Amino acid sequence: MATLATSQPSASAGSADETSQPLIALRGVAKTYSSQRHGALRALDPIDLDLADGDFICVVGPSGCGKSTMLRLLAGLDVPTEGRIRLGDKTINGPSADVGVVFQAANLLPWMNVRDNIALPLRVGGRQKVPEARIDALLEMTGLSEFAGRFPYELSGGMQQRAGICRALARDPRILLMDEPFGALDALTRERMNSELQRLWMEARKTVLLITHSISEAIFLADKVVVMSPRPGRILECLDVPIPRPRSYDTLVTHPVYAGLAREIRARLTQAEARP
Amino acid sequence: MSSIAAPAKSALPRSRNVPSSVITLGGLVALIALWQFAVTRLHLPAYILPAPLAVLKALWTGIAVAPSSPLGWYLPLWSTLRNATFGFVIGSGFGLAAGSGMAESAVIERLLMPYAFALQCLPKVAIAPLIVIWFGFGDGSKIAVAALLAFFPVMINSFTGLRAIEPERLDLMKALSATRLETYRLVKLPNAAPFIFAGLDMAVVYALLGTIVAEFLGAQRGMGVVITQAEAVTDVAGVFAALIILGALGMVLHSLVRLAEKRVVHWSDRGQNQGGRA
Repeated sequence: MATLATSQPSASAGSADETSQPLIALRGVAKTYSSQRHGALRALDPIDLDLADGDFICVVGPSGCGKSTMLRLLAGLDVPTEGRIRLGDKTINGPSADVGVVFQAANLLPWMNVRDNIALPLRVGGRQKVPEARIDALLEMTGLSEFAGRFPYELSGGMQQRAGICRALARDPRILLMDEPFGALDALTRERMNSELQRLWMEARKTVLLITHSISEAIFLADKVVVMSPRPGRILECLDVPIPRPRSYDTLVTHPVYAGLAREIRARLTQAEARP
Repeated sequence: MSSIAAPAKSALPRSRNVPSSVITLGGLVALIALWQFAVTRLHLPAYILPAPLAVLKALWTGIAVAPSSPLGWYLPLWSTLRNATFGFVIGSGFGLAAGSGMAESAVIERLLMPYAFALQCLPKVAIAPLIVIWFGFGDGSKIAVAALLAFFPVMINSFTGLRAIEPERLDLMKALSATRLETYRLVKLPNAAPFIFAGLDMAVVYALLGTIVAEFLGAQRGMGVVITQAEAVTDVAGVFAALIILGALGMVLHSLVRLAEKRVVHWSDRGQNQGGRA
């Protein structure tokens, strides 16, 4: 369960268990980028957010709402200027093997074949022997086995991102951060990738935080949709998605809560855009 | 001398009906015809412009001898090729090391960059006489001048290529807690490879140039010596023949680098179709 730690903690519906500690807790986390040319830029106003173990969170919001900043902070690529992020009982202040990142447009290394790309996280950071069986299992799981020896430029965008997901999973992290992973794909491929991601998530039960521009993608995938607004970035709303799994695009839009949820998210986003 | 070469691009679109090799060969035939015409009709003396046939004869005399004959092309060609190759390898090696050092360390960059650019503007063959004084008339000075000329394009191109890394790729390595050496070896160096090969492509031709210039200044053997000796007895056909040999050598070396590039940088020009980047 993701809970917005507002004035009444854990007041949100569902199985929120006050005794269980969230896997990730953001407390008053803010980020200001300072550059000599542009001065200080407030990317993220202080936010509070909890991610429980096994949650699937989707973050939606217009450009500049700080969602990518939030992901970078969770990935340990940047350090918050205020507040702190706790992962279990540790504070995140750098990259961690518990966190896997899926980048926009896969971000595979073009000089490595699919297998080597996926094995990259197991080769670096002082690791010695690459467990080939682990790579084989990941390839098998995403249907890439027969493409292991291919290079990224020989793959479609969807297959590239499958490899990107495998790479993020290589170290078996507890948390998967995904930054608009399917934004570069066509609509049909995107829906297929979403279904696959749902299947993977239901099998592996990782905690996932996925950034997207697509409202339908967010509702399809998420347990909780976090709506953010820009300038400076902050969390507007945190909505439950009470649609049972496994979800299917065939029945999603006809589900009784879908239309209401989509309308609410869209209204929030429009409201965020309209603000001066 | 130019500094930064863009990574090699694929060939221009061919014209529709005529194969490009026919056009190239046709141009050569036309040039030789014009040459023959100039010699016979304008009555140019042989010490200004020898007839194509005389050049061909001079070329053949050098080829048709035993490889160990001092009259043939083989011994001087071997000497020049060996020195140019050593110079190329040494110069490129130092160029890659210096370029990497500057790209990886702000201190080294600040230390070397201003001088690198100042030297870049200096016509480096002008240093050749000095190098001959230091290294003598043997192979050492030839290798040193070749290395000096090969050094700069590789250094500048390595530096540029290593800095031209997409931030997402660095983010990837950072998220994996990769060490600097791992990031350099697995990401930055391959990423810079197209740039480095463009530098090597220039360097191999410059190394040959440097060797010949050093040979002009004084040497016991080499193609530069062949040219100066032919020039001394106004054997212009011999000079032309030596130039043809050198041109062919340059083409072969250039092709070898391009071949290596195709093998190593097989993803270039095709790896760009990953979305997100233009």
